[in-house]
Amino acid sequence: MISLHSIAGGKRAAVLLLALLIAALLLLPESRQEPLLALGRHMAAAVSVPLRAMEWVNQGLDGFWGRYVALQHVREENFTLRQEIARLRQETVRMRETAVASTRLRDLLELRERLPYPTVSAQVVGRDPSNWYRSLVINRGLQDGLAVDMGVVTPAGIIGRIVKAYDRFAIVLLLIDPNNAVTGLVQRTRDEGIVEGTEKGLARIKYLPLLSTVKVGDQVVTSGLAGGFPRGLPVGTITKIERREAELFLSAEIAPDTDFTKLEEVLVVTSPRESTSLPPMPFPLQPPAKRDAGDAR
Amino acid sequence: MKVVAYAALVLLVIPVQITLLDRISIAGIRPDLALVVVCLIGLYGSEVEAVLAGLALGFAQDLFSGGALWGNLCLKPILGLLAGLASRNLVNLTWAFVLALMLGLSLLSGTVMYLLKSFTGPGANFFLAARGIILPQACYDAVLGLAALKLIRLWKPHRSALTALTYE
Repeated sequence: MISLHSIAGGKRAAVLLLALLIAALLLLPESRQEPLLALGRHMAAAVSVPLRAMEWVNQGLDGFWGRYVALQHVREENFTLRQEIARLRQETVRMRETAVASTRLRDLLELRERLPYPTVSAQVVGRDPSNWYRSLVINRGLQDGLAVDMGVVTPAGIIGRIVKAYDRFAIVLLLIDPNNAVTGLVQRTRDEGIVEGTEKGLARIKYLPLLSTVKVGDQVVTSGLAGGFPRGLPVGTITKIERREAELFLSAEIAPDTDFTKLEEVLVVTSPRESTSLPPMPFPLQPPAKRDAGDAR
Repeated sequence: MKVVAYAALVLLVIPVQITLLDRISIAGIRPDLALVVVCLIGLYGSEVEAVLAGLALGFAQDLFSGGALWGNLCLKPILGLLAGLASRNLVNLTWAFVLALMLGLSLLSGTVMYLLKSFTGPGANFFLAARGIILPQACYDAVLGLAALKLIRLWKPHRSALTALTYE
C-alpha cells in the first residue's frame, strides 16, 4: 500500500526534477539548444494558427468599437465640420470675388486719374430687355450729372454712349450695336472714319480714304472730333480690310478691345472738351509704327 | 386688387428681364418675359387687361432698351389682344395650343421688330436676323410660356368665364 506521505514526497521529487531540468536547459550552451528550438518552432507554428484567429477577432472588436461604439459623437462632429467647410467655401468665393473686384476697381481708378477729363464711375446693373439692341443699364443718371450722348469707357477702351438718361439710371448703347456711331481714326495712318457696330457683334470703321495704307493689326482710336469721347481712347484692332470696287471709300472690320460680355464697372466721360490740350496718351497704346511712303500725303 | 396685382407685375417683370434673364440666356438669346406675361394675361384674363398690361410692359421695356420709345409700346398690346381673342372661344386650353400661340406671336413680334429696326436704322439681312434672333427667341418664349402655364395651373386651374365662354 502506498502511503500519502510517499505520494507527496514523489510529487516534490518530480517538481524538483523538473526545476533542475529547466535549470539545466537554461544553463546549456546555446549551440546545444537547437533541438529544443526546433521543437519550439513546430509548437509556435501550431500556436500561431489560433493566435492569428484571436488577433483577427481582436481587430474586429477594435474596429467595431472604433467604428460604432466609440463614434457616438462623430455624426454631430461631421455635421459641424461640413457646416464649417461650407462656410469656408463661401468665404473663399467671397474673398476671391473681392480680390477680382478690387483689381477691377483699381484699374478703373487708375484710368480715372489718368484721364484729364471729369468722369463719373457707374456700375452695370442690367442688359437690354430685348435681343434687338446691344445696350447696358448703368446705375447713374441725370442726378449724377450724366446726359445723353456722353461717352462711356473702361480701362480696355471705349464701350459706347448714353442714349437715354433718367434720374437714377442711364441706358448705354454699346459700340457693337449697328445703331451706334463714333468718330475714330487709325492710329498709324491718321485716317479718320466713322466706327459703327455690325450684326456680328464687332465694329467697322467706314469712310476711310481709298488710298489709305491701313492694314490688319492697326489700332483704331477715337478722333475726338464729335460725340462724347476725347481724342486717343482705344477702340479696337483692325482685323479685315474691305475694298470694294466702285466704292469711293474703304472700310475695315474692327475687333473691339473691350469684352462687352464682362462689363461690370464703367466710367462716363461727362465733359470730353474741358481740357484744351491733348491727353498725354492715357493708355499703353501700340508704339507708332514706321510710316509707309504712302502716308506722306 | 387686380389693378394692384397688375401694377406689381409690371414693376417686377422688366427689372427681372433686365437683370436676371441674362443668366438663362442660351447663345446670347434671352426670352421676352414681357411678351410671355402679356400673352398669359390674354389667355387667363381678358383682352382689355392684356392690352393694358401690354401698354404698360411695352412702354417700360422701351424705356430701358437702346431702341426707340415706341416699338414695344405699340407691339405688346397688339400681342395681348391677339392672345385674348385667340383663347376667347376656346374650350380647352391645351399645352399644344399655348405652345403654338406663343411661338406664333413671338415670331410675329420678332418680324415686326426687325422691320421697325430696319426702317429706323441700318438694315440687316432678314435671314440672318431670323436665324440668329427671331426663331431662337420664339422657341425660348414658347417653352417659357408653357412652363409658366404649368405653374399657373397649380395656382389657378380654371380660366375666367369671360375668357372661356364654354370652358368647363
